[in-house]
Amino acid sequence: MANQNVLIIGGGVAGIEAAKGIADLGYKAILVEKRDRLGGNPDEQQYSVLTPDRRDASEALSDMMAPILDNENVDLMYNTIVTGASGSVGNFKVKAVSMGKEVEIEAGAVIVATGFSHFDPGRETQKYGYYEHDDVLTLTDAEKLLKEHKFVRPSNGEVPKRICFIQCVGSRDRQIGNEYCSKVCCGISSQQAIEVREQVPDCKVYIFYIDMRMYGYWENEIYWPAQEEFKVNYIKGIATEIVKKGDRLLVKGEDTTLRRPMEVEMDMVILAVGMEPSEGTKKMAEYFGLKQNKYNFIETIGGPLDTVSTTVPGVYAAGACTGPADLEDTVSAAGLAAMKALGSIRRNGNA
Amino acid sequence: MVLDLSINKYSDVTYEEKERLFEEAKADDRWEHILYGCYECGICVAACPSARFYDFSPRLIAQAVAREDVDLVYTLMNDSIWDCSQCFSCDRCPRQNSPGQIITVLREVAVRNGLQTAKQALEGYGRIIYKIMSTGSQVSPDMLQPDAFPDWGKHVYEIAENLDIWRRALPPETLHTTETSWKVDDKTIIELYLIWHMTGVMDLIEGIDEGLFMILVDVMEERLEEAGYDVTFD
Repeated sequence: MANQNVLIIGGGVAGIEAAKGIADLGYKAILVEKRDRLGGNPDEQQYSVLTPDRRDASEALSDMMAPILDNENVDLMYNTIVTGASGSVGNFKVKAVSMGKEVEIEAGAVIVATGFSHFDPGRETQKYGYYEHDDVLTLTDAEKLLKEHKFVRPSNGEVPKRICFIQCVGSRDRQIGNEYCSKVCCGISSQQAIEVREQVPDCKVYIFYIDMRMYGYWENEIYWPAQEEFKVNYIKGIATEIVKKGDRLLVKGEDTTLRRPMEVEMDMVILAVGMEPSEGTKKMAEYFGLKQNKYNFIETIGGPLDTVSTTVPGVYAAGACTGPADLEDTVSAAGLAAMKALGSIRRNGNA
Repeated sequence: MVLDLSINKYSDVTYEEKERLFEEAKADDRWEHILYGCYECGICVAACPSARFYDFSPRLIAQAVAREDVDLVYTLMNDSIWDCSQCFSCDRCPRQNSPGQIITVLREVAVRNGLQTAKQALEGYGRIIYKIMSTGSQVSPDMLQPDAFPDWGKHVYEIAENLDIWRRALPPETLHTTETSWKVDDKTIIELYLIWHMTGVMDLIEGIDEGLFMILVDVMEERLEEAGYDVTFD
């Protein structure tokens, strides 16, 4: 008889949704999370609001996780890090260190939901001086300032008069090795731009971009309002470097559609960093023997028609551990993974 | 003329003055219906007949105003908006901008504020403006000067000589005129002059062409006085 439990690794948005799905279907979900709380990147990085509906992130996440917090079908294991795995579908044995103690978890199927980490712009693109200038931030740094409603220059605590976003930092870049588009940064930058304009109405906001990519309703829900209502300035052209000028930052680039060089002084520059596989994602791929793509995300094997099955039967991957994903993608994939994980257990349990 | 956007050509004009003019355009009731946001996609330029012959781009106009680039808007108000033929082919914009109507508003601001380029652009139209404003009709038969229209053939001389007779051959009696395109009755002309006066059109003319303004004032004040109106244009 196959083990009927599903192990979910990672307590972010994908993991929470998968656990809810398993529990709702009447099976047991064992959710392991390395931190002492759920919520993943949106919680750990203190996101201000969610994209695209702009709902308060903490509130939305609380509502989302509430059903699994006191649920007899969900075993929550905090401070737990998976360290190894063996077995196969219907009978996985997963080693972990939980609250400092070594444990073994048995499960019939596994859902990997270990997500992404944000690209570190100081690592390879020194041209933007992320480690050098206090007023050069990433999207995640800016989220924290916006969440606290204290959108000020880190260097001197003053309210900025002119800021810009630089898109595609760490994405779409052969030199760095991340040739893919990180999918969400255009929308998130635009949404942050709206928040800046709301919180600091006198601050001019520019977005320097290669292509703006806000598909589907993100177009009319984020892009158009940012430009039309909030007068965010979109300039096609990417900055080549940032240098200090007095107490401001001089951003050099080209205003391509106006065919003119551009040297503008900014109070703050926000780098729209993309997604890379998290350490946990790389480790899970190694422990479970999952094939990874050239960027080290976990490879799913069904093309566009199956976004969660991995090369190992009984192991599914959901959300940004498989590649850049927005919340809609992540939640949809998590539900699919829950369904397929239970399907694999039921098929094998009867064999 | 080639537009060089790399320089701030009108740096002698203060930013505050440029901003004031731009704010005047933005305050226009039409503004929110003719400017949304610009993709910078160029569909307007592709459709624009003027863009084929001049260094003129309706996209630039939309971009400049959408970005609220005050210096650039001022440059375009001087060096670009008069190259538009106001055909509104650009109205196919997917964002529903109307670069042509944006130009209409910018031109009105340029005229109201007596910008030098507005004066230059309208210089050649002085005679037509005079005709319309003083008579209420546009091109009149006596403006037909044979030497100016050789392409009309040799008959144009015959016609010009006996213009009055040719006009009387036209069936509608209202067209038996040579100094105006048609017969304009006294009541119409008085109403017209009062409209020019009360709507501020005369102020516009004064800002753009003082000579023309003075001639019009002479004509109008006299006629209005005869009709019993005590109107001064200063």
